[in-house]
Amino acid sequence: MEQPFTNETIDTLQLPQFEDAELTPIHSSYLTVVWINIAVIFGIIAIVAGVGFYFIQELHTKWLAITLAYVVILLLTIVVQVISFKNKAFAFRTHDVIYRSGAIATTTTIIPYNRVQHVAQHEGVLSRWLGLASVEVFTAGATGSDITIPGLEKDHAIAIKHLLVGKIQNQQANEE
Amino acid sequence: MKSDFSQPQRQSLIGIVVMFGDALQGSVRAFLPILLITVVQGKTNAAYLWGSGALILVLTLVIGYLNYLNFSFFIDEDSAEFVVRKGILKKTRIGIPLGKIQQVNINQSLLQKIVGVHALEVDTAGSNKKEVTIKAISHEHALILKDRLLQGTDRVGEEGYDNEIVPAQKEQHAFIKISLLSLLKTGITSNYVRSFGILLAFFISTLQHIDDYLKFTGINDDLVDEYVNTDVLLRFVSFIIGAIIFLTLMVNLVRTVIRYYNFRVTKQQNSLLLSHGLISTRNTIIRPGKVQIVTVGRNYFQKKFNINDVKVRQASDLDADKEQKKSAIEIPGCSNAEKDKLLEFLLDKMPERGFKVKPNFRKMIFESFKFLLIPVGLFFLFAKYAVPEAMDFIIFVPIYAVFVGILIYFAFRNSRLFITPDFIVKQSGAWDIDNDFIAPHKIQALKLTQFFWQKGSDVGIVNLYTAGGTVSFGLSNFTQLKKLVNYWLYQVESTEKNWM
Repeated sequence: MEQPFTNETIDTLQLPQFEDAELTPIHSSYLTVVWINIAVIFGIIAIVAGVGFYFIQELHTKWLAITLAYVVILLLTIVVQVISFKNKAFAFRTHDVIYRSGAIATTTTIIPYNRVQHVAQHEGVLSRWLGLASVEVFTAGATGSDITIPGLEKDHAIAIKHLLVGKIQNQQANEE
Repeated sequence: MKSDFSQPQRQSLIGIVVMFGDALQGSVRAFLPILLITVVQGKTNAAYLWGSGALILVLTLVIGYLNYLNFSFFIDEDSAEFVVRKGILKKTRIGIPLGKIQQVNINQSLLQKIVGVHALEVDTAGSNKKEVTIKAISHEHALILKDRLLQGTDRVGEEGYDNEIVPAQKEQHAFIKISLLSLLKTGITSNYVRSFGILLAFFISTLQHIDDYLKFTGINDDLVDEYVNTDVLLRFVSFIIGAIIFLTLMVNLVRTVIRYYNFRVTKQQNSLLLSHGLISTRNTIIRPGKVQIVTVGRNYFQKKFNINDVKVRQASDLDADKEQKKSAIEIPGCSNAEKDKLLEFLLDKMPERGFKVKPNFRKMIFESFKFLLIPVGLFFLFAKYAVPEAMDFIIFVPIYAVFVGILIYFAFRNSRLFITPDFIVKQSGAWDIDNDFIAPHKIQALKLTQFFWQKGSDVGIVNLYTAGGTVSFGLSNFTQLKKLVNYWLYQVESTEKNWM
């Protein structure tokens, strides 16, 4: 029973290791997008809270608790978002794409090129203004298996897209 | 009628009944809300209601008949198409190139069973919904038409499989047949949790009603309390528990038998055809190439009874999210020998268990936190600040804690990953122990997850994504998981095999 695997253990040590791949962090202007997003969301919450304070008398007694909660959540969000920005990194190896992300939990997703279904390129309003784009890689796997790499310079995103599309076509050509 | 499908032809004459039935169903669905509203408002008189009911019925019959008259099908040999014409006012002609036909299913609903006809569904690669359904066709006719339609498929090449026409007789030879006895065994040994939950909810709400009733009618609480002394209460509770257990068993038994009665697995060319059902017969096709995950599950009783529950997950059509759940096909009550036969056919070879990976004991801590600490904490918070009456149920907290604690312990003990070059086997479950079998080349993507506090203890979770679902394992030694991920990546990237 054990034998088939012991064969492979030797192999596994010689296999290329994904954790050795050098990951490229995403573009630093993406941090601007992160900041603006936080500002917009918390700005809206602040406005809603202000209106609430103006119209609902009972809230006045609880202003300290509400303000404290707001500040704590804001700080937490900033910390999480900044760590998450620093954690986002990707690498394109010969046979697969690696993407790392997350703040509280770090996830590393790896998609072999021969399992890529299609590639999409997105540009948000903010991102376009900053000359950024994101690339989404789809597989046939269940939800959660697709990766979106944000904060790529537009030329870079297009290059990546071409690379992936080329790999897919190569793959299909090989099959036929 | 001859078995010549080159001329346009109608469905079986008796099929008019089925058309009536279908049209009737349609009109009932359309008019029932209106009818209910009028009845509830109670302003219209009975004669008017009956009159409109009769009118609708007559109209329905006419529509059913016209539907029958206007429905015809044939195989156009010149353009190699299967053509269906239908529609009373809006005429539709659907032509399906024979080469595009993916599968042909023969089904039978209750009504169709009564009048002795079958439905024939033609499924194409183009979309996820059934393209064409012939609602009434005799069985032998259906079989011949099916063979004729699938011949076209073979020409275009299911990996160059021999193009032989399967004669009708051959269908009778079953690969696996699940006996009624096995179904009964499955019925009384599975799905405890679900049925138990449903029945418990039912009993609690009934008790609540009785309580409300007593209060409403003003029966003196003290009197009731006096009457209902501990002895009676104990007997009552044990009666209820007994009744719930009995009903759970009965409900499971009836459900299993109705759903899976006369379960037959037939080998057809390169795929398996499943057919089952007491009231309506269902047919499903399993193609080994499309199979992504095979799960074999059984609990302690099922082990003693020598039965297994086999679930097969096939790759869903790319744009069919809804179908994804449906695509878990269940084969209940297989004996060990039958299970092995199935596994060998679906996975090409018998999977071995191989190298064993165990979870880290922190898995139990993590799960206790998730399923014990947080729910119990929420309960106390809820009881303290929102609904003080909830404290009456405090007796259930230790019961819950012990129950969940036992489940977590056994789930931990059973959680294993077995690796061989050809298969990944994940064993999991506390009571129902499942074994998921995956061939490495079916992997679409791999994901490793680690929370920041898990870095020090070097544990984490791995997710394996396939087109038929996701398999997740952990918490386990992260260094080892990384090694495995590298190994699987190597396997996926170096394989010539396609995932579908």
